[in-house]
Amino acid sequence: MKHRKPPVRRNAVILAVLLLLLAASVGSAYLRLGVWNSAANLTIAAVKALLVAVFFMHLRDASALVRMTAAVALFMLAVLFGLSATDYRNRADDPAPWQMPRQLSGAQWGQSSW
Amino acid sequence: MITLPVAPQFSTEIQQHRAATLGMWVFLATELMFFGPLFLGYGYGRLHLSDAFAAGSRETDVVLGTVNTGILLTSSFFVANAVDALERGAHRFAAIMLHAAIALGIAFLAIKGIEYSNDWQEGLFPGAGSALPKGEQYFFLLYFAMTGLHAAHLIIGIAILLAFAVALGRVADPVSLSARLRVAGLYWHFVDAVWIFLYPILYLVERSG
Amino acid sequence: MADNYLTDGYTLASWLTTRDHKRIALLYFAAITTFFFVGGAAATLIRLELATAQGDLVSDDTYNRLFTAHGVIMVWLFLIPSIPSALGNFLMPMMIGARDLAFPRLNLASWYIYVAGGVMIITALFLGGVDTGWTFYTPFSTLFSNSHVVLTLLGVFVVGFSSILTGLNFIVTVHTMRAPGLTWFRLPLFVWANYATSLILVLATPVLAMTLVLLAIERIFQVGIFNPALGGDPLLFQHLFWFYSHPAVYIMILPAMGVASEIIPCFARRPVFGYRFMAYAILGIAIIGFLVWGHHMFVSGQSVYASLVFSLLSFLVAIPSAIKVFNWTATLYKGSIRFSAPMLYALGFVGLFTIGGLTGLYLASLALDVHLTDTYFVVAHFHYIMVGGSVMAYFGGVHFWWPKISGRMYPEIWGKVAAVIVFVGFNLTFFPQYLLGVQGMPRRYHAYPDEFTVLNVLSSAGASILAVGYLLPLAYLAWSIFRGERATSNPWRATGLEWQTASPPPTENFEHPPEVTREPYDYRPEGEIAPP
Repeated sequence: MKHRKPPVRRNAVILAVLLLLLAASVGSAYLRLGVWNSAANLTIAAVKALLVAVFFMHLRDASALVRMTAAVALFMLAVLFGLSATDYRNRADDPAPWQMPRQLSGAQWGQSSW
Repeated sequence: MITLPVAPQFSTEIQQHRAATLGMWVFLATELMFFGPLFLGYGYGRLHLSDAFAAGSRETDVVLGTVNTGILLTSSFFVANAVDALERGAHRFAAIMLHAAIALGIAFLAIKGIEYSNDWQEGLFPGAGSALPKGEQYFFLLYFAMTGLHAAHLIIGIAILLAFAVALGRVADPVSLSARLRVAGLYWHFVDAVWIFLYPILYLVERSG
Repeated sequence: MADNYLTDGYTLASWLTTRDHKRIALLYFAAITTFFFVGGAAATLIRLELATAQGDLVSDDTYNRLFTAHGVIMVWLFLIPSIPSALGNFLMPMMIGARDLAFPRLNLASWYIYVAGGVMIITALFLGGVDTGWTFYTPFSTLFSNSHVVLTLLGVFVVGFSSILTGLNFIVTVHTMRAPGLTWFRLPLFVWANYATSLILVLATPVLAMTLVLLAIERIFQVGIFNPALGGDPLLFQHLFWFYSHPAVYIMILPAMGVASEIIPCFARRPVFGYRFMAYAILGIAIIGFLVWGHHMFVSGQSVYASLVFSLLSFLVAIPSAIKVFNWTATLYKGSIRFSAPMLYALGFVGLFTIGGLTGLYLASLALDVHLTDTYFVVAHFHYIMVGGSVMAYFGGVHFWWPKISGRMYPEIWGKVAAVIVFVGFNLTFFPQYLLGVQGMPRRYHAYPDEFTVLNVLSSAGASILAVGYLLPLAYLAWSIFRGERATSNPWRATGLEWQTASPPPTENFEHPPEVTREPYDYRPEGEIAPP
């Protein structure tokens, strides 16, 4: 185990950064940045998660295998979003000209079973 | 120093620890994929029902949500300390850290409970008979599903930390639990990491009005 | 007789609380065999109904419940667990020279979870079943179906977790418990195949789990993200469902490929051709298999651009599969081939998988799919792969490793007879369905126009032959347990660590942990001397 500083001190620094990022996140949400609000918040969230993963979850000293596991999981999520996006980004969102009444009103209790 | 016996299928304690660590990370990968569809459903709604999502998000309690985020981040700090401390031999300090994390976890759940109860009062629950516009029902379905699933995982996390906190006080050699606590800590941090993403997407959409 | 894992405790409790991967494998074997015949019973009723053009045996509603039951049971309760949980659980630790899997108690838990899910599904069946098809498409499943959707969803959800745990166990075991000297490229291809399958199990199944939960919530609470009237999208369900269910078919075929790669070298007495490419192809199939799910949605309203992307990727996934078929074939070249029962099943697997795989390319072509989708062409395609492929390989594997598992030899003549009956019955059942599909007969219909009668009758006749072929092994394998010739440790003279220990093996698998110094599939022609 490599400890450059006492671990509590290092963890405290990480926590401080995390809380600062939290403040930045909520603070920037109240500024009119348009589409950059989302971008900023998601980026900040990603940085926070990375800090938790690298320092608190010890990815920093973990084996290549463990790091690959984390990377593969994130990659799979990206595949799910990305390939679904090829559908959603290229399809107009037109409502059907007519919807079944039951679809609009939803199912009633009693007529469908468990 | 007496260590816990190595399970018979393993040759060495190091092999056992490597297996436990990899096992937990693979499990966390499955948990990430388990949350995945909720994020995709959210993404769809955010794109196609952006106004409703903005309106819905503004109905959430940003103060309580922000406080809860701070609580969880701090609890992760305590768990990380507990793991490091136990590895160094400071098992009493580790127990204190675990109890602090558990307390914060319970606080998170209590605040969440208050939020849910307020949401109910304000008629924000989706479903048959709801007065919410359709798009906002979609938002709140995801809000309750994601935070509810997260809370369920948090409860499990608290139970795990509690088991360790109790064991630290009971076993003859608490430091022998350090490898296992390290693995268990990963679960807690994962639950924290999921919330790190839930917070902005549920609480901070178009807050600037 | 020396003590072995079968004699290590005779009580029921010793079986139900075992941590021994070999006993757990047999627990799985018993359960999946039961479910196979339940699913087969549904298939029997289906083919009986379809023997005549009119819907005269059952009502249309009952027919919907039958094919749903058949699909749900065969996919989740039989095919997905079959090779990994029955054969894989038994063999994986032995093939890598380990004493057990990494998490034996988790392994036992996964069996109990599997049985619990199976009981839920069968209960839903007895309560009247579900009529949505195994694909549970919305909005029918959420808004309009009057059947036991939620209970079935719950059962599938539970079974899914069982498979996730199995996959997790395999991944950790292969990474951390290989014997000294057993590098990745000395692993048997069966291990590679189950490892790749496990990657799919742990990454794809959780998506299905959540999707089914969302479906249940939508149905129970009348909310939803799949309901367009509420702002949702039914295609969102399809994307999420097929994100799992396409890789699921690779869960079903990859272990079968692993089995074939063990049997063919042994009965051709040749090392497998292109071992590294076989391993890479296994990984390639697993990875690309995650990228093609939209080919189930070509006519659903999915954007044409997405359909193009998915079509292209679907063509790509055929490449590693083809490499494997070429390599199995090349393995036979200059071999000394024996047509024992396992080899008959394995060769049948290669041929039928090839036909099924080629017809997949037809379906991956956008224009052709518009004509062929939702017809019997699709039904024939996936049965060629899942039954002609996976089930044949499963039977081949059961026969191949039967001496190791039971300590007995099955009667070889009956083994051959059953294999031939299965092959003939299978082709008679499913080949006509390709023709029916091209001619336009839709799937999931209990009645059809008269012009399709002849082919349907042929198909049903074939099904009766296939049934005989499947029942025979049940009889003679059971017989062999009591009266079969006792097996030596390596009756096939196969390579692989599992053959270096007794048949049946001792509980701890190996007297001393083995050390691996040789390359896999070290088969040589008779008389040739191994290099030092």
